[in-house]
Amino acid sequence: MTTSQLVSSPKSGENVWLWLVKIITGPLLVILLGIHLVVNHFIGTRGLLTYADVVAYFKNPIIPVMEITLLATVVTHSLIGLRGIILDLKPSRTVLTVINWILAIIGIVSVSYGIWLALVIASKGA
Amino acid sequence: METQRNRPSPSKFWSWFFPVGRQTGGWAYVLNRVTALGLTFYLYLHLIILSKLAQGPSAYDDFLAFIHNPVYTFGELLVVAAAFLHGFNGIRIVLTTFGVSVTRQKQLFYGLMFIAIIIILIFGIRMFTA
Repeated sequence: MTTSQLVSSPKSGENVWLWLVKIITGPLLVILLGIHLVVNHFIGTRGLLTYADVVAYFKNPIIPVMEITLLATVVTHSLIGLRGIILDLKPSRTVLTVINWILAIIGIVSVSYGIWLALVIASKGA
Repeated sequence: METQRNRPSPSKFWSWFFPVGRQTGGWAYVLNRVTALGLTFYLYLHLIILSKLAQGPSAYDDFLAFIHNPVYTFGELLVVAAAFLHGFNGIRIVLTTFGVSVTRQKQLFYGLMFIAIIIILIFGIRMFTA
């Protein structure tokens, strides 16, 4: 068995840049999602568990920026990953084009919605 | 060989879950994929549910009161577990992609999974006792 078979590489049909983005966003997510989970479960007595807790947490301007960065990173990683799984099912070129558009739209809508939501919450504490 | 055998196709879908004859690398692959699908599903569910934050304090706090029971807490722990298993398995994938520990992947995998399980236990204790 050669080394190339043992390590991650772009699948057939997977754009090398998309694969690279997936590989680079991974470690970033370990950090950002790690912070997200620790904050949400370990702050205070039971974690961030009320509306007031969340609004208070978002008062620090670093937090909305961090949460939006997490969202954009996790959405990108999840959609490229989902596309990779779909590529394993060997879709036709037409089907793949449709899937690419659907995934791109899901990504844009999710991140836009998340930015709006983060700004709404941040404005409540202002 | 192992990589080829475990590469899925529609007809081989159920073979992902077939345990016999699978080596560590195959298990790591299945773990990565099953957690990926679970986390993707949860991510978009999470985003939809968070819209309750925009509806104001009572909508959000009522919902949190509704899910504050052991069944939902266990579900949340499954999400946390999937996140750490996927993340730590992913660290192995990134390291080996850049040439680190390629010949010692099995040891790296077991070591990372051990750390992930310890973290999951700490979260589990916190979530069920806090």
